[in-house]
Amino acid sequence: MSSRWTWRILTLPGAAWLGVFFLVALYAVIAVAFGNQDTLSQPVPFWNPLDWNVGYLLDVLRNIWHGQQFLTVTIRTIVFVAISLALSLLIGYPVAYFAARHAGRWKGLVLLALIVPFWINYLMRMLAWINLLSPNGWGTKILHDVGIEQLFVWLGLLSAPGGWLDGQSSTVIFAFVYGYIPYLILPLFAALDRIDQRQIEAARDLGASPLSAFLRVTLPLSTPGILAGSVLIALPMFGDYYTPDLVSASTRTTTIGNQIDEFTRQGSEKVTGAVLTMLLAIVLLALMFYYVRTTRRAQAVYAGR
Amino acid sequence: MAHPRDRSGLTRGQLLKGAAGSALGLGAAGILAGCENTTEPIGAGVGQPTGEASKLVVPKPVGPGGLPLPRPDNAVTWAITADNPPIRDGRPTERGPLNIYNYADYIDPVTIKKFSRQFGTSVAVATYNSADEAIAKLASGAVGFDVIIGLTGSNIVDLIAQRLLQPLNHSYLPNLVKNIWPELQDPFYDRGSRYTVPYTVWMDGIGWRNDLVREDIAAMDDPWDVFWHSQAYRGRVGILDDKQDALSMPMQRDALRAGVTPDLNTEDPALIDKAERELAELNAICNVKVEVTDYQTLPEAKTVLHHSWSGDLLSAAFYYMPKGVKPDVLSFWGPSANGVVQNDFLCIGRASKSPVLAHRFLDFMLDEQNAYANFVDFTGYTPPQVAIDADALIRRGLIPKTLTQAVVRPDQFAANQELLQLSVEGERLWDDAWSKFKAG
Repeated sequence: MSSRWTWRILTLPGAAWLGVFFLVALYAVIAVAFGNQDTLSQPVPFWNPLDWNVGYLLDVLRNIWHGQQFLTVTIRTIVFVAISLALSLLIGYPVAYFAARHAGRWKGLVLLALIVPFWINYLMRMLAWINLLSPNGWGTKILHDVGIEQLFVWLGLLSAPGGWLDGQSSTVIFAFVYGYIPYLILPLFAALDRIDQRQIEAARDLGASPLSAFLRVTLPLSTPGILAGSVLIALPMFGDYYTPDLVSASTRTTTIGNQIDEFTRQGSEKVTGAVLTMLLAIVLLALMFYYVRTTRRAQAVYAGR
Repeated sequence: MAHPRDRSGLTRGQLLKGAAGSALGLGAAGILAGCENTTEPIGAGVGQPTGEASKLVVPKPVGPGGLPLPRPDNAVTWAITADNPPIRDGRPTERGPLNIYNYADYIDPVTIKKFSRQFGTSVAVATYNSADEAIAKLASGAVGFDVIIGLTGSNIVDLIAQRLLQPLNHSYLPNLVKNIWPELQDPFYDRGSRYTVPYTVWMDGIGWRNDLVREDIAAMDDPWDVFWHSQAYRGRVGILDDKQDALSMPMQRDALRAGVTPDLNTEDPALIDKAERELAELNAICNVKVEVTDYQTLPEAKTVLHHSWSGDLLSAAFYYMPKGVKPDVLSFWGPSANGVVQNDFLCIGRASKSPVLAHRFLDFMLDEQNAYANFVDFTGYTPPQVAIDADALIRRGLIPKTLTQAVVRPDQFAANQELLQLSVEGERLWDDAWSKFKAG
């Protein structure tokens, strides 16, 4: 048997897994979103696209068009994710840069420190923050002592001193950044670590300042890492509903994930939940395609084609 | 111990007990479950007039599957059909095992152990997080549960319409007549207790920290109004994360002010919208939290004023007080009339393989001693036993005086209303309003 066939056969289990648990599941969501409900309020999927019922989709789109609750949560979710992503990059990039280029023999240790958070369940880490950020928690005291609390109150990002858990958008964003940042740093580190040191030296030799060598060589070469990391954390952030529930529980921090959770787990509008799931998936797929296209182009540039 | 009826949020107790995995799954599984289960209506009694005669009455809303919606003024007797008869008298008890389906942490493991010793059987408990999840799983027919615990009058029509329950044979249930409040021996949602027997009762009220809240809420003319004047407690005020409980709260306030009796199961869009708008006012007033973890957040003072289920205040007092905080800092007020009371029930799954053993378990839980131990040692939710009352519990030093009202009395139960299953259209109205409110 040729090695080509060996690899094809080895791909089968993975492909079957993806096929069954991703494509079929996704199609089921679509079939429900274009389906109907029976008299017990249970969803009835319409598997045949020719039968599809667009009524529920139109209801949701109309709701968004008229600026009702689905528009509110969509905009809020996008703002939360955008700010969290920007902050994660601002914080994560220097860390990955340091680990890849300056940690020297400590590189292994720094990497280990980055992976350690993975050992603890995401929700457990969030629960720890609930205690740290409670009015008498250590986190609250430290944020007070270093002046961040006053700054946030002054900026209007915190309603009252010690009120981090009072249902603040800033706390949700902070929790997003804290929870997801390791997933950003690792691909960034891999990308930065891969950059050939000689290219940067060449830039310096040709008269580039450290800053311009960074901006014109390191940064563009690390773009695939930035994009991969961003996609990796933005996708789950878009669907995250438990973080806002845990650290805020206010209706003012509800995300689209919360609304989907609400509709699909209880009540009489499971089809609406499926429509929202489908719309979110479409947006995420669009982002994903953009990512794939950009990285392919970056690789082409890198390969000098 | 969160709530028996609809535990929608993630709670810390659940997480620490390692039950988080299932809650994290995406919605797809839920979407896939339970399609096309429409069955022929099997409700007996209430028929709607047809033809010319129908013009003479206001039509009553119809429930899932075209079945009647039980209401106190519209009691329903569910038919017993030939294909699903109750078990015959005097059968020997099976050896088990007994499979129980219940909310997490909603029955004392010691009680279960006692039962398995007494009947020489093993007992397995599977848990669910919301009534919808439970019904979807039961309807899928995947598992033949013997006993189902924790569903309420707001699920009964679904259970009957989808033919998920087995009728009961009362000859195995002598404790029902002996111990249970008379009004719950023959409830309007299941006349003659043909399919269900009561497990616990509770009511919606206000839980607060009397050391941190100035107002004497129980002494106010309109206690619910305290939420609309809670600016001082901003960020530490919560309401129940459940559409029917939450939206019915401003309805109670409005009715109290207008001096009328509310219909807390209303399907009038204007009333539902009004309730939604009034709840939304709480965002600006106190940035209200929507959660069901008050049994932890009140003892820890992370919230100080909460729309609460009575049972959660008791379980808070029983277990969740941090070191150095006495349970008498917790207070509870519940309306004596026109508020919300609820009860949930025990029932037997249609596919039960050990129906006699399941009946034995129901009767075991209706026993005064067992019900009492399960209540004060574990759940905090009152069993409707004639012999259990708040004064006795206070005398035994089990609960502080400030929580007297959290033990539901039969007269309160009679004068308040249950949140019940709505018509399909009505449910949509409530769901829409709730989604709007939750979007902030």
